[in-house]
Amino acid sequence: MPFIRRYKDLGTNLDGLYEGIKKELQQDKDLTIAVENNGVINNVPFKSITAARATVPRAITGTLREVTITIAGVPDDWLLELHTGAWFGNMLLPGTGGFLIAGPFGAAAGAGASAVLAADYGRKLKNKIKGMVKKHSGKTYAESKIETFIS
Amino acid sequence: MPFVRRYKDMNTDLDALYKDIVKELQNEKELNVAKELKGDVNGVPFMSVTANRSSIPKMVTGTLREVTVTITGEKNDYLIEMHTGEWFSNLAMPYLGASILVGPLAGLAVAGTAGLMAAQYGRKLKAKIKDLVKKHSKEKYSDEKVETFIG
Repeated sequence: MPFIRRYKDLGTNLDGLYEGIKKELQQDKDLTIAVENNGVINNVPFKSITAARATVPRAITGTLREVTITIAGVPDDWLLELHTGAWFGNMLLPGTGGFLIAGPFGAAAGAGASAVLAADYGRKLKNKIKGMVKKHSGKTYAESKIETFIS
Repeated sequence: MPFVRRYKDMNTDLDALYKDIVKELQNEKELNVAKELKGDVNGVPFMSVTANRSSIPKMVTGTLREVTVTITGEKNDYLIEMHTGEWFSNLAMPYLGASILVGPLAGLAVAGTAGLMAAQYGRKLKAKIKDLVKKHSKEKYSDEKVETFIG
């Protein structure tokens, strides 16, 4: 699920923040940086990085497939989007239960606990980013300067 | 939004189907095939291809960012998952209106119809995959052999 935050009046060094996030992604041995887009869209600075899983997973459902982080805006008004994708996330819906992946798929669903799960990874990265926003901002971090949008 | 279909009793040549899907992604000039994973997950054959947008979009909200198509299973019982990702989709939600992107971020929302939109591309690719499944299956395609899951 994409997660968006709008930050205002923080005086954030967005280049420094982006580099910090990139380094974080590079440090994860299960991920490789797949694409980076840096530029402007109608005069609004825009940076986006996607890291994809480097190897075939040990389990399918819910395993982290890719992470995209996008930063758009200026130091005192910017958006950050965090997207984590998971394989066959639909199959984890409470209504479908485990029966769906019985038969030939039963094995593919196993070993879930040992895999890097998208939900887990996203939660950890979100906290890490919060720390980095504080580190790279020239003004005091306060909840009143932040608005969150979740679909 | 991820879209999953389970196909049964179709006797499908999954390697050929996968190759044609990769070719379809390669034919889209805005996309770049960034990652392919092939192998098996606990004995279940698994193939996954991800194509990312290769350039900065002209606008952000709703523009296609990446496509992942995954096939897992055997010729008579397999799953296809199609994921299309888009930037800042949350901000395109009707109840938010356009008001969220005022100020320095307003430029991100303009030129909407000129971009390669994720929803539109996903619809087109879904229809193409259906044709490719028919092409590479020895048994006749029928609705009762297909089950769809949308998260």
